Amino acid sequence: MIEIERVSKQFGSGGGGGLGGPSGGVMAVRDVSLSIGGGVVTGLLGPNGAGKTTLIRMITGFLTPSRGRVRVCGHDAIEDSGPARRCIGFLPESAPLYPEMRVSQFLRFRASLFKIPRAERASAIDGALRRCELLDMQDRRVGQLSKGYRQRVGLASAILHRPPVLILDEPSSGLDPAQIRSLRQTIRDLASEPLDEATAKRTGLSKRVVLLSSHSLPEVRATCDRIVIMARGQVRAAGAPDELLEPLRAAAPWRVEVGHPPETPASLMVSRTQELIAGVASRVLSCVAAPGNAVIARLEMASPSISHQSATTHPGEALFRTIAGAGLTIRSLSREEPTLEDVFLAAVEDRAHDALTPSLSHATSPKVFA
Amino acid sequence: MSGVATIALREFRAFFQLPLGWIIVALCLLGSGFAFTNATLIPGQPASMRDFFAFWWFILAIIAPSISMRLFSEELRSGTFEPLMSSPVSELSIVLGKYFGAMLLLIACLAPTMLYVGVLGSLTRPDYGPIFAGYLGVLLAGALYLAVGLVFSALTSSQTLAFLATMFVLIGVELAIAYGSSQLPPQAARAVSELSANARIADFAKGVVDTANIAYFVVVSAWLVGISAVILRARRWR
Repeated sequence: MIEIERVSKQFGSGGGGGLGGPSGGVMAVRDVSLSIGGGVVTGLLGPNGAGKTTLIRMITGFLTPSRGRVRVCGHDAIEDSGPARRCIGFLPESAPLYPEMRVSQFLRFRASLFKIPRAERASAIDGALRRCELLDMQDRRVGQLSKGYRQRVGLASAILHRPPVLILDEPSSGLDPAQIRSLRQTIRDLASEPLDEATAKRTGLSKRVVLLSSHSLPEVRATCDRIVIMARGQVRAAGAPDELLEPLRAAAPWRVEVGHPPETPASLMVSRTQELIAGVASRVLSCVAAPGNAVIARLEMASPSISHQSATTHPGEALFRTIAGAGLTIRSLSREEPTLEDVFLAAVEDRAHDALTPSLSHATSPKVFA
Repeated sequence: MSGVATIALREFRAFFQLPLGWIIVALCLLGSGFAFTNATLIPGQPASMRDFFAFWWFILAIIAPSISMRLFSEELRSGTFEPLMSSPVSELSIVLGKYFGAMLLLIACLAPTMLYVGVLGSLTRPDYGPIFAGYLGVLLAGALYLAVGLVFSALTSSQTLAFLATMFVLIGVELAIAYGSSQLPPQAARAVSELSANARIADFAKGVVDTANIAYFVVVSAWLVGISAVILRARRWR
C-alpha cells in the first residue's frame, strides 16, 4: 500500500505562497493525501505540469518531500528508504536505459542492484523477459532497440524483483496502438494476479499496487479502475470512474426535442418553448430550431439533491408536465451523459469544488483505494 | 557492499562497450610512451624511471577528467540517474561504485605501461623498488584526480563542462603551486608545495613510500568522494 500524508514539494527557495511562490519557489505538489491499495490499477491523471511526476518521484524516494510523509508497504520512503525502494518497481518516463548494454546484461545489473539472490536471478530474468515478450531481444544492445522495445525493457526491469508496488510514469508515451494495447493488458494482468506468499505475508497485500501516471485520458480510462486527477499540484478529484461521474450526472443538462406542425413558424415555436422551459429550468443553455419542424432545448434543472428524493419534484417529470401541459409534442426527453472528459475538465479548470467536492481528497481524510 | 561492486563493474564494462574507454587507454599509452622514450630510454642515463613518473601528473590531468566526466553527467543527461537513485542502494554506495569503476579503468590504463618496466629490465638492471613505488604514487594521485572529477561530474549534466572544470582545477592547482613556490618566502613556499600531487609523485618515484604522502592522497580522495555523496543526497532535496 502507498500512503501519502499531507505531502508538499517546493522547488527552489521561497515562501511557497502559490505556484510561483512570492520568493521565486515553485510549489509542484501541495498538501496531497492519498492511500492506494492493491488489486486495482490506479491512474494519476493530469495535464502536463500538474505535479504527477513530482509526486511519483517522492513515492520512489528520488525526491524528498518538503512537507509530509510517504510510506510504501509500511516503510517510510525517506527514513526507511532501502526497504521502501525494494518494494517498488519503477518505470520512469521515457524508460531511460544504458544504450551500450545488452538487454540480458542490463536485467542482470538491475537484479543485482535489487539484491535478488543469485540462485533466483536467472529465473527472475527469464520470467521478466517472457512476460514482456523480449526473449528474442535479450542479446541485442538496448541502443539498437525501437522505442517500443526499450519501453518493454524498462517494464521488465521494473517487474524483475516481483515488487508489490509497481509505478509507471507515462508508460505508453511514444508507443504505437498495438504496443499500447499489449502494454495495457500486461499492466492489468500485473494488478490482478496474486502476489507470492512471502511477499503477501511481508506486505499484507494480496495483490499488487499499480500506479500509472498519464496525461492521456483515453489511456487512463482504458487501463485504470481508479483515477486520481491532479492539477496545479493538488488532487482535484479521486475515485472510481463511476464515482467521479456521479456528481456531474446529477448536474447534467437535460435535452428536450419539441415537435410542431409545419405551418407554425419556427421562430414562434422557439420563443414559446423558451418561455415554457424558463419556468422550470435553473438555466437555459440553448433553445434552437432544428430540421424536421422541431425545437431542441438544452437546460439545467433544479438541484440534483432533490432530484432523486421525491417523484413529485423530479426535474424530468416537471419538464415533461410543463411542455405536454401546454399542448406541445415531446419527441424526446433525455439527459446528457457526462464523460470522464467532463470530469477531467471540471477538475482541471477549477470547477471541481462545486461539482466534484464529494470525491475530493482532503488532507485530513485521505481517499482510500483498496 | 554488493551494490558498490555491481555499479563498479557496470561502469568499468561500460567504458569498454563505448569507444571512450579505448580512446582513454590509447591516450594514456601515447602519453606514457612519449614519456618513456624521452625520459627513460636515453643511452648513458641511470636505469631509473624517475623522470618517466615526472610526466604523470600531466597525463593524469588529461585522462582522469576524461574518465570521470561521464560518471554522473551522463546519467543525469540520459535520465538513467532517476532509476539508479530509486534503487535500494545508498548514495554513498552509488558514489563508491562509480569511483571504483573509474579506478578500475585507471588501473587498466596503467597495466600496459608495465611493459616499459619489462623493456627496461631487458636492457639493464633497474632498481625495481622505486619503480613500483612510483606506480603506487601514480595510482594514488590518479585516485585523487578522479575524486576531483567525480565531484564535478555529480554537479553537472554536461560532460564537457565536467571535463573542462576538472582539468582546469587539476592543472590550475599545479601551476599555481609552482608559481606560488617561486614567489613566496621559503617557509610559505614549502607549505604550499605540500599540496602538490606532482611533488608527492616525485617522492614515490625516488622510492620513498611515506605514510604522510599515502595519507594525503587517501584522506583528500575520501573527503571528495564524501562530498560527491552529499551532492547526490542534496539532489533529492532540490
